[in-house]
Formats: sequence, structure tokens, C-alpha cells
Amino acid sequence: MRHEAPILAFDTSAAHCAAALFRGDASLAQRQEAMTTGQAERLMPMLEEMLAGAGLGWRDLGAIGVGVGPGNFTGVRISVAAARGLALALGVPAIGVTRLEALAEGLARPVAVIEDARRGEVYLQVFDGGGAAPRLATLEAAAAGLSGLPLTGSAADAAAALTGGAVLAPAMPLAEAIARIAARRAGAPQPRPAPLYLRAADAAPPADPPPRLLDA
Amino acid sequence: MDQGLTVLGIESSCDDTAAAVVRAGDGERQILSSVVAGQTDLHAAFGGVVPELAARAHAEKLDLCVEAALDRAGLGLDRIDAVAVTAGPGLIGGVMAGVMCAKGIAAGAGLPLVGVNHLAGHALTPRLTDGLAFPYLMLLVSGGHCQFLRVEGAETFHRLGGTIDDAPGEAFDKTAKLLGLPQPGGPAVEAEAKAGDPARFAFPRPLLDRPGCDLSFSGLKTALVRARDALVAEKGGLTRADRADLCAGFQAAVTDVLAEKSRRALRDHGAGAKAFAVAGGVAANSTIRAALEGVAQAAGLRFVAPPLSLCTDNAAMIAWAGIERLRAGHHDGLDLAARPRWPLDTARPALIGSGRKGAKA
Repeated sequence: MRHEAPILAFDTSAAHCAAALFRGDASLAQRQEAMTTGQAERLMPMLEEMLAGAGLGWRDLGAIGVGVGPGNFTGVRISVAAARGLALALGVPAIGVTRLEALAEGLARPVAVIEDARRGEVYLQVFDGGGAAPRLATLEAAAAGLSGLPLTGSAADAAAALTGGAVLAPAMPLAEAIARIAARRAGAPQPRPAPLYLRAADAAPPADPPPRLLDA
Repeated sequence: MDQGLTVLGIESSCDDTAAAVVRAGDGERQILSSVVAGQTDLHAAFGGVVPELAARAHAEKLDLCVEAALDRAGLGLDRIDAVAVTAGPGLIGGVMAGVMCAKGIAAGAGLPLVGVNHLAGHALTPRLTDGLAFPYLMLLVSGGHCQFLRVEGAETFHRLGGTIDDAPGEAFDKTAKLLGLPQPGGPAVEAEAKAGDPARFAFPRPLLDRPGCDLSFSGLKTALVRARDALVAEKGGLTRADRADLCAGFQAAVTDVLAEKSRRALRDHGAGAKAFAVAGGVAANSTIRAALEGVAQAAGLRFVAPPLSLCTDNAAMIAWAGIERLRAGHHDGLDLAARPRWPLDTARPALIGSGRKGAKA
């Protein structure tokens, strides 16, 4: 039995198909293709190309790492659904890694990851060993609690303008970070990967209440 | 010699997450398992299916349904010959989750992948349940669709007509919502209608004055709103009798329209047809079903209505349609696209959604 089976990590939580194939600490292949649509069509063929390029097949994999967001709702579901299907068929674990964890990977702590969530809001998580949960907040509300902390993420510049914190570049590509985190978790039982939305679905109860029943 | 095919089907185009295993060979067809996880409670507060909520639920239920379906069939993926999945038309978030889950399973298990049109799944169900031979006429009538088809082959569908606006199932749901009845509206309205007087309200029978098999239900919905509002304005609410009469009148109007348009479809396009078949959730309504059966009888055609569990959305029909496609020599690659719009009959001009994005269904 081989000591370390390869791990394949992928992410479609934003305008890309990103993937990394690792065996232990060794990167066997990495890809990031930019696209605003078409991830559902491109993801699996891209992964097959990477495996084939490394002389591997699906059944050689020991684990799947998958980006679970937050990010584009549909994009997150594309990867999570594929990962769960692969895990079922291969009998290997699929391990969910959040975009916020991945962006903090390899950076010194403490660090705050702050990602643009549009609509004037940001996805925020502080990594300082305290186990703070990820959350959605307005940029201003998020910045209020971050004074002096180093920042990373797509809204880091905007937040730094309010907090004066230093802005850090990510330490590695997103898919590599997902692969490294997933590899660390692969030894212990993991829940099935589930999307991390942070933002509720747009759904409003009907505005028009039903009529009163006179003889109820 | 037919060596047989065992196919895993996956369906997630609306508010049911479903997986099934179907085996076919030597003239035998067997549903080894059929698992359907509904989402009624999830959407109950909103008076209709919320696409994003549906997609969220599908993404986390699909693999569980597949495992349950394999388990109940007593088979591992090593005993499956292909994975069939609904690739449209439908709510795209759910369809995409299903397609991606199917791709993962197909890639991981080294199985062929077959993309299936959800409507073809419904339209081919009478062949799964009753072994019906081609050609036959079909009324597909559900919450999202309403069309008459002449089914000539597993991939040859001629659309004879269809709704130009809402689907009848959608109108039943809306009626239930307007009258404070629970969702899904079909069973709730049918139950109320039993105690009602169908003649009290003179609801319109849209498009009966026009030739052909096209249908319309949005005007009927509006008429129901007007009748309800007139009662509320008069006495501040509805009595139980009012509600029952509104349901009975609405159901009678839908029944009359479907029956008359079916009669025309059979008269004008029934030559050589082996049967008149129905599918879709609305075909579960016993008043409507009885009327359609009467139309078939009058035309001297066999009437085929699959059991309710195979009339509403399910994955056995997707597995079966996949078997039909595989037998025709087709399968798809891992680049299979999920399609929100995918008409069965591409030769006919679009009835709805004829804009930039093309025909809906």
C-alpha cells in the first residue's frame, strides 16, 4: 500500500475553475482557468486532464478537497456536488475547506480575511487562534473590530483604508491552500462538504395574505 | 440477445431530489428502487418553489438519495451500467447540482454519463410502466409544464400544442394560495372541490373558441382572483362553502379545457396512435383523470396513466429515458451542460420563452 495517496482539490466559488493535485508536500499539477460562466462544463474535463498529465486516474486518489465558499452560490454548488459525487463513487473522503480558511493558509497569525460580498457587504473571519466564526457584515461594521490587524482578501484594501492595518497578499494559490488544509484533515472523520453561504437566499413570504374564513 | 442494462437515474429539476435504479432487458423492465426526497416544508411559507432554496437543498441531498437508491436496490456502483441525469429543462441551480453530482459519480465509477431531458422522462414513462409501443399521444400536465405530444420514438417528439402562459399545476398552487389552502395546491384544491358546486361561478374556458391544441390558464387565475375579491368586498371574508365552490368551479374549468383540447388532439393527430397517455402531477387529479379517460374511450383509444409516484417528478423515469438513449447509441461527455431551457420538439416555434434565450420547453 502506498504511504500517501494523492489529493485533488478544486474550487469554483468565483470566476474560475481552480484545481491542485498534491502527493504529500509535492505539487503534481495546478491549474487556474478564468471564466465567468461555463464552470459546470469545464471543471470535470479539466480535472481529468490534470490527472492524466500526472499519469494518474480517479481511482488513485486518496481524498478530495473542495472549496465550499463563501462566494458565488451556483459556483460553490458546482464543486460541492461534484466532490460529493466523486466521494460516493471512489469511497474516499471529500473535505470541505472554506474560501476564508484557504486565503489565510500560510500567513502569520493573527490575520483577518475580508472578502468582497457585494451589496456593500463583506465576508469576514479573524484567524487568531480564538476560533471566531465566519460572518457577513457591512464593510464599516467589519472594519470596526479589526484595528491594527493584518488583512488579506479582496476587500482588504477597502478595510485597510478604515483600519490602517497592513494588507497581505495570499501566501499561495487558492486551490493549493485547499489541498494543503484538506490533506491535514484527511486523517480524521470529516462531515460531507456543504456550501458555506453566509448570506440567506432571497425569498420573501407572499405579500397578499389569504382571505379570512367567516365560519372557521 | 439483450444483455440488459441497469441504470442509476438522478433528478433535481424542481423541488424533488430523486434517485432510482432501473433495470431493463429481454423485454422486462424493473424499478429496483426509487427514492424521492421532497421539499414541500421548505417552500411552504413562500407560496411557491423558491429556486435558490431548492438548489441549496438539492446540493446536500443528492448523494444521500443516490446512496439510499443503491442501498434499496441492493447494488453497488460496480453493478450499474450508466448514470442518467436530468440535464434540463428546469430550475437551473438544481439541475446543475444534479448534473455535477452525476458527473462525479460517473467519473469516479468509470461509467458512461447520459443527459436526459426531464420532459422526455415524463413522456417515455408509459413505456416503462406499460411497455407502450410507438407512436402514442401524450398529455404532459404538471406544475411547470403543459403540452400535447405525439411520441414517435425515444427521441422523436412532435408537439401538437401546449400552454401559452401558465401550467395548470401552477394555477392549482396559485388557487390554493389565494384561498388560504396548503401547498402543494393540487390535492388541497381537489379535496375542497369535492364539497363545492362547480356551477356557482362562471369561470372562463380560455382558448376553447380557437382551433388547435394550445391552452391558456392565466385568465382563469385572474377570474378566480376577481371572484374571491368580490366575495371578500361583500362580506369581509369567505365562508367554507364559498371556498369549496371556488375550488370546484376552478377545477371544472381546468378539466373542461384539458378534456376538450385532448379531444381535438386525438381527433386531429390520433391516426395510428396506440394509446392516449398522461403524465405529470396534475394527472393525479381524479376529476381530470376521469375526464381524460372518457375522451380516450370516446376516441376508441387505450388510456394509460402511470401510477401517481411515476406521474410526479421521480428518477425512475430519468433512468428509463437514459436506457432508451443508451439503446439508441447515445451518451454524453463530462462536459455535459445543464440547460434551463430545452424544448422536446425543436422544430416547432416556441410557445413561451421565445425571446433571446430561446424556447423554454
